[in-house]
Amino acid sequence: MSELDRERREMAAKLQRPGARPDPSLRITRRTFIHKSCLLGAATVAETFAWWPLLNTIDVAFAAEEPFKFAWISDTHLYPRSLNTRFVDKTIRAAKEVQAMNPPADFLIFGGDIAQLGKIEELELGAELLKEVKARQVFIPGEHDWYLDMGKKWGQLFGEPHWTFDHKGVRFIGLDTVSRAPDYWTVKNMSPEERMGHMATLDGSVAGPWAGVGRDQLDWLSKTLSTWDKSRPVVIFSHNPLYEYYPPWNFWVRDWREVNDVLKPYANVTNIHGHVHQVLYNEIGTMRSIGMLATSWPWPYAPEGVPKLTKPMIRVDPGDIYDGVGWGNLSMRGDRIENEYIMWGRKEVFVQSGPDSSLSQPEILRSRIADKLYPY
Amino acid sequence: MTTKTTVRRVLSRVAFVATLAGVAVLVGPAGANKTPVTPQQLQAYDEVFMEQVRNGDLLFHGDDATAKRMGVTLSTTGMACAMCHPFASDTHPQAFPKFQVSMNKFATLRDMINWCIEKPNQGEKIDPDSDAMKALEAYIYWSNTGSVLVPGKY
Repeated sequence: MSELDRERREMAAKLQRPGARPDPSLRITRRTFIHKSCLLGAATVAETFAWWPLLNTIDVAFAAEEPFKFAWISDTHLYPRSLNTRFVDKTIRAAKEVQAMNPPADFLIFGGDIAQLGKIEELELGAELLKEVKARQVFIPGEHDWYLDMGKKWGQLFGEPHWTFDHKGVRFIGLDTVSRAPDYWTVKNMSPEERMGHMATLDGSVAGPWAGVGRDQLDWLSKTLSTWDKSRPVVIFSHNPLYEYYPPWNFWVRDWREVNDVLKPYANVTNIHGHVHQVLYNEIGTMRSIGMLATSWPWPYAPEGVPKLTKPMIRVDPGDIYDGVGWGNLSMRGDRIENEYIMWGRKEVFVQSGPDSSLSQPEILRSRIADKLYPY
Repeated sequence: MTTKTTVRRVLSRVAFVATLAGVAVLVGPAGANKTPVTPQQLQAYDEVFMEQVRNGDLLFHGDDATAKRMGVTLSTTGMACAMCHPFASDTHPQAFPKFQVSMNKFATLRDMINWCIEKPNQGEKIDPDSDAMKALEAYIYWSNTGSVLVPGKY
């Protein structure tokens, strides 16, 4: 049994307690049931791709005091404007569309990786472009923002990397899942640029398992939640998913077991995360988890570990820079939270048949080799 | 000419032919390269291949020094191949050659590599027989070792 298999079995054994679901009233409503992708998807690709639960409309018994909307943008991966104008254009487009939301968003959450190589110029460019959005803005960091100067500039621009606020009956929490990487640079005497370069290589092996919440932040999370009614809604924003999907690309946090220990008593937790640049849905224990699109480029699904509950997104046209990317329009209405993926250039976000999905082309992959040799 | 000399001549001719045959048996197969392969040879062949895989890995991950050394400009946007294809995923070398929709033509993996260099990366197309192309191809195939051949698959 591979290491990954072993870990996954452990995750299932630990989290899938009998009867433990994110919310007892999660149900298939008429609205979701008539969703075209569910009807077709179930018939044609049921075996490979789970058709439930229907990503576009996630129904939750949410006790929001009044309906409201908020927006998610993340993973803009900005280079300086002089090097790459496409990423700039797409950030501007997302910001303009968020600003044009009607009814307007109460706030914008930026889910990390505003910059590509953590440069002052890139971070400032991101802050500047997002000024288009007049609503309140909150930020969590991504690894690309952090490892050139260890978060110094990011902190100056965007404040604390973790925070909490209550809004209309919902407790929102922003977590920092990126800043606690084990030190791989000191002993190898790396320059800040080299350190950043390894961190910016998703499939690299040098930066290792950098994604984690950390004991100190878990204690903070625990304390923050202790004043909150266990049945009331909690929404946690993080750059990385708070479960284990595919560790070689840090599609996880390494301390997901401890995170689960803290969240276990709370019946209504929704984790919204970036980093994966793809449509993703999972439930572990009492927490549901939604993966959001990037504006920059889409990642393919990992070769293994795609959650069974994920209905995969459409196979992307590499010739269209607006395909497979976009932002998230989230609403809380009465008793539910809904996430609408705004994927530019696509009417249908989800696969309709096998050939529509990159997962229909089975692949067996090896990790890279060049960064396992000298001088790394 | 006596009988004795004739016998001697015949004998020496036989000896000559026998010697030639002996030499042929001993030397011939070696000259035709038909000895069983040795572990040392296998290692040498593998080293040649893995050197190309390493070069391809570095090119694929946007290593400037390697690109410069091999005389290619694979990108001008800061994008590297691996940014969309971690572990060379979604490159599907096993499906080529095939009708490639984005190019609207029947294409090989090398055609596709050049398309990606030119379009998403906005780099300079490379010679399909160049060392850089062979290295990229080596890395992509090596990464997908074990994937089943499905030529022509969409």
